[in-house]
Amino acid sequence: MRQTLADWLSRQLVAFHPRGWRERYREEMLDVLDQHQVSMWTVLDLAGSALTAHADPAYRMAGFSMARLRRAAVIPAVILASLVLVLGSLVAFAAWQERWHLSGEGGVGAVAFAPGRHLLVSAVGSAHQDSMDTVWDITNPARPRQLSAFQGGEPTVLSPDGRVLATVSFGGQAVLWSLADPRRPARIAVLPTDDGAQLWGEAYSPDGGILAVAYTDRIYLWNVASPARPRLLRTPVMPITALPAYAPQELAFSPDGRILAMVTGTGANQVTLWNVADPARAARLATLTGPNDALQAIAFSPGGNLLAGVTYHGIVPVFSLADPARPVLATTISDIMPDALWPDGLLQHPYAPPCPSCGPAAYAVGFTPDGLSLNVVVERQESSVSGDAAITNDSRDTVFTWNLTGSGAITGFSIAFRDIVGDWPTLAPDGRTVVDGAPHSNTVYLWTLPRSG
Amino acid sequence: MHGKFDDLGRFADPSLLILTSLADGPKHGYAIMTDVTAFSGVGMEPGTLYGALSRLERRGWVRPLETEERRRPYQITAAGEAVLAEQVSTMQEIVRVARLRTGMAWGS
Repeated sequence: MRQTLADWLSRQLVAFHPRGWRERYREEMLDVLDQHQVSMWTVLDLAGSALTAHADPAYRMAGFSMARLRRAAVIPAVILASLVLVLGSLVAFAAWQERWHLSGEGGVGAVAFAPGRHLLVSAVGSAHQDSMDTVWDITNPARPRQLSAFQGGEPTVLSPDGRVLATVSFGGQAVLWSLADPRRPARIAVLPTDDGAQLWGEAYSPDGGILAVAYTDRIYLWNVASPARPRLLRTPVMPITALPAYAPQELAFSPDGRILAMVTGTGANQVTLWNVADPARAARLATLTGPNDALQAIAFSPGGNLLAGVTYHGIVPVFSLADPARPVLATTISDIMPDALWPDGLLQHPYAPPCPSCGPAAYAVGFTPDGLSLNVVVERQESSVSGDAAITNDSRDTVFTWNLTGSGAITGFSIAFRDIVGDWPTLAPDGRTVVDGAPHSNTVYLWTLPRSG
Repeated sequence: MHGKFDDLGRFADPSLLILTSLADGPKHGYAIMTDVTAFSGVGMEPGTLYGALSRLERRGWVRPLETEERRRPYQITAAGEAVLAEQVSTMQEIVRVARLRTGMAWGS
């Protein structure tokens, strides 16, 4: 709504420029407006530009008409009109902000964090092209602030410095957005493929210099040190082509940036490690094989010595990467699902779903920053259909916390849970904040895990 | 210190950014805006961009090229390059003095 108004105002203000100026710049300026994310600032900026151009002697050469215009006090009128337009836009902008929480089709489908900048981007809508992204300031997680909203596609990762957002949009392509000013996101680059392959996931190296873009059968490594001019470095090919449709879009760099891990295999039950210490010469390092069950999420420990995952049926393998070329399956934790309570508090076995409307579990996995604990969030949900077909979701996040040694042996265990409205949990980089997106609305819920003793 | 930039007014912002953006080759309006955002973090709006482009063009520091569809690329001129170099060296001097006086370390 605001977009349309701001767009319209901008175009009107282009027409407010002096005639000489318009003859020279109008067409190209309208072309820029076609591509630009027009905002209230654009409107203000154009109002300023129009006034400056009117005051510019170079454009006052048509003295005859200007003299008459002046006499007719058009200039003050233009100033007044601009002020009215600007104030009107501000009111419209404020009203539009109130509507941000209005729902999209699929509810919050994806979130991305910036480790160093307290930013979170959430997206409403499951179809990539329709996703409406919201940028949040979560400096105070108890009171997140909405900074901006834009139609940018499904967010996958934020650069570590939080200045660039990578999304999947425009027909499945990877697109980079500048969040240098998070109130005014701007598209800066599209990362093309030769053949329109389907994008699978994206990950930034810890220093932000490399963006790994995974497709179903290969990974592109881009040098994004200058995000507006990405440079393709190398395209490692998957050991097994074509991932199954249910495989998660999971890939991750080790904390030192030297290893890239991605869920692979025809059953999505493997993790392939690539040595990317020199990204231009990336090569496969090893393949980890876990339980015979599709992995849903993976995470490196902060020291890079462990890699943990969680599978569709809630099995948690922990690999030791003491020698990354020869990884060892250190621990397998299998019996957690009976403890992941359903919302009604009943214990249910995962292999015997109690009702057709009960969806499969959703998972998040992450280590605490001290590397001493592994958290696995299991979200289970029961949808009930009330009289007029309104769907309500009762969900519960159960969080399993294991204390681990450096080699992956378990030394302690605790469990926490929380009844929530949302689903699809994500663990923030702090290892303690859980984010759930609410179904059917652009609402995200943040809650913090109790500190493990 | 007085130089060619004095009569340009707000030289330090849009004009300098645009000249820097054009230093590695011609770009049209929107490409300049995205490039400036990428290398400086400054979100430049179309009004500011064309206000500055018009001033730069009149001073002969950039030149418009043939329009491609609705887009017109701009190219930095030799005079523009000279002005940019002069300005950059002034800024380097300012940085040097500021670092000395504030005790900031070089490098890191």
